[in-house]
Amino acid sequence: MDIVDIFSYAWGGIKLRKLRAALTTLGIIIGIAAIVALLSLGEGFRIVITSQFERGFALDVLTVTAGRGLLASIIAGSGSEEYLTLNDTYIIDEIAGVKQATATLSKSIGVSLGTKTYTVTVVGINFTEYSTIYSTSFVLQNSSVPLNPSNDSIILGYRLYDPWKNGTILVRVGDYINLTWTTGSIAKPIVKRYTFHVVGVLKEIGGISIFGPSDIQAYIPITTAQEIFETDQVSQIQVQLVNSEQTTIDSVTDSIKNIYGDKVTVISPSAMLNTFSSILSTVQLLLAGLAGISLLVAGIGIMNIMIVSVIERTREIGILKSLGMKNKTVMTIFLCEAALIGLVGAAIGIVFGLGLSNFVTTFIFPLIGGGTNQTNAQGNRVVSNITPVLTPTVCLGAFFFGIATSVLFALYPAWRASKLKPVEALRYE
Amino acid sequence: MAPVVQTINLQKTYMLGKVPVNALRGVNLEVESGDFMAIVGPSGSGKSTLLNLIGALDRPTEGKVIIDGVDVSTLNDDQLAELRRRIGFVFQFFNLIPRLTASENVELPLAIAGINKRQRKEKTVELLKAVGLSERANHNPTELSGGEQQRVAIARALANDPRFLLLDEPTGNIDSKTADMLISLLKKLNEERGVTIIMITHDPNIAKQAKHIVRILDGKIIEETNNMNGGS
Ligand SMILES: Nc1ncnc2c1ncn2[C@@H]1O[C@H](COP(=O)(O)OP(=O)(O)OP(=O)(O)O)[C@@H](O)[C@H]1O
Ligand SMILES: [Mg+2]
Repeated sequence: MDIVDIFSYAWGGIKLRKLRAALTTLGIIIGIAAIVALLSLGEGFRIVITSQFERGFALDVLTVTAGRGLLASIIAGSGSEEYLTLNDTYIIDEIAGVKQATATLSKSIGVSLGTKTYTVTVVGINFTEYSTIYSTSFVLQNSSVPLNPSNDSIILGYRLYDPWKNGTILVRVGDYINLTWTTGSIAKPIVKRYTFHVVGVLKEIGGISIFGPSDIQAYIPITTAQEIFETDQVSQIQVQLVNSEQTTIDSVTDSIKNIYGDKVTVISPSAMLNTFSSILSTVQLLLAGLAGISLLVAGIGIMNIMIVSVIERTREIGILKSLGMKNKTVMTIFLCEAALIGLVGAAIGIVFGLGLSNFVTTFIFPLIGGGTNQTNAQGNRVVSNITPVLTPTVCLGAFFFGIATSVLFALYPAWRASKLKPVEALRYE
Repeated sequence: MAPVVQTINLQKTYMLGKVPVNALRGVNLEVESGDFMAIVGPSGSGKSTLLNLIGALDRPTEGKVIIDGVDVSTLNDDQLAELRRRIGFVFQFFNLIPRLTASENVELPLAIAGINKRQRKEKTVELLKAVGLSERANHNPTELSGGEQQRVAIARALANDPRFLLLDEPTGNIDSKTADMLISLLKKLNEERGVTIIMITHDPNIAKQAKHIVRILDGKIIEETNNMNGGS
């Protein structure tokens, strides 16, 4: 019996019990839909995250922080004993492959915008160096960055100027705003107030920024920052390289490590992105694994139904054998029935999964969070920008798993069918 | 001429729990090509058991079945399956596949034997015509009378030009008038096409129409008669 005949015979078997086949298929549909939805959402999420990070990043800029470890470096100014000062920028400047280095010092402090005071990350920078390193993102709306700013100059990120992006402007260029810095102990706080002159507002950058300019930060001269925060430390040193090639990144990283040993951590944007990607992949895999459990349940359903079906069709199997059908052909027929169920289930499941993920992104995600405060706004932007992405790998994988699960769980029932003794099968009532 | 089927000291013992049931106790039988043999005997005498062994549907406990000179006991499952393609079975309860039409049922053994689609169609049309059911080709078994179903079963059994036809009480479930028609058909096939027929029956009137009658009792052949007016 050739494979076309086997398939058409198997198809006849499925058609015989339409409702049952539909219910069995439903199991596969749900499993595959869950996997596809989760993976395509995950992929969409990864793309948004990556692109958002990329917008804030300059690929040719390394970030040097005191102490070790990624986490310690993200939390700026974490309680590390080692620290960097402005002097270190001059040391790093001398390294071959470095175009220029600039230091930043950032703290979260109160900033009065309009009638309210918000907690904002204020970054002390060298206006000239910073704006050349981040020449594409650190750009003012209507003017250029002042190269010799007065000590009370402040530049605002776009979202501090127009937080809801609806034209509700909190503060304008030329305004004076108050910064409140609280030191001392919790029991005995010392509140200091400074007045700053808004000299510019950044163009919208978009994205999430860990290093580099961001829409939700404010920028003041680093010397002023060190005075206010009463420190000679800097949080980070941004090192612009002559190019963004991996060899340059590696050699500069090595040189910095040679000078400072383990006292500093050097982070390259590409390494950062890779880390994020791999974390996201792991999470995605985990989610897919969870969805896989539903596929497992579907598989057990198929096995169950198949066993019943083999028992019901014992006589039919006896007839086929009396007509000279070989054991392996009997087995193939049942496996083909399962494969067809898997194929149809996977196809519908993929469509449903995509539909589900699109439904979630269009109707559910916009409901998450109101987006009134600054940090929320960033998260919301990420969530609302997600478009589900179905990669060919996921698509093929879904087909593969749909069919493989069905066939795998049909193996035992099919084997039982093939082993039936013709005489006994024919006697079966 | 060598017999188409030969059994030597054929024995079959079923185990009913721990009790052995000797369904066949040493049957020696020879069937020549072109024969029309009726097997008769009381219920439980072992007729079906014998037929199943001759048809390679089951393996004997003792003794041999030799089909076309080949000892069936030496064959593996696949070889047995291939052998069955050269044997036509007709059962008391028709055993058609309900979801297939008459012509699809007839076509099935041809598909199993790997005959190509075009030849299958031609052969199916020819067979249905031979059993007088051309008009019923696209009907499902449930839409056919018992006699018609049994004729479809005969057409199906003939599909692969078998060496012999085995019929287990083919008239057991149809009225006597239809049964007569069926027997006429079998006689015609036997005479005109030279199809070898081995048929179990309870009906003495039907047995009379065969060329030979083999009588079985308690798993043994007790009598073999040559029917002088058989085939006339
Ligand atoms: N699978 C089986 N397991 C146990 N005993 C069986 C089995 N098949 C047949 N027998 C027994 O073997 C004996 C012969 O059975 P068989 O079916 O060959 O009789 P039969 O001559 O065809 O009878 P009938 O005319 O009623 O069809 C009977 O006693 C029957 O009970
Ligand atoms: Mg019987």
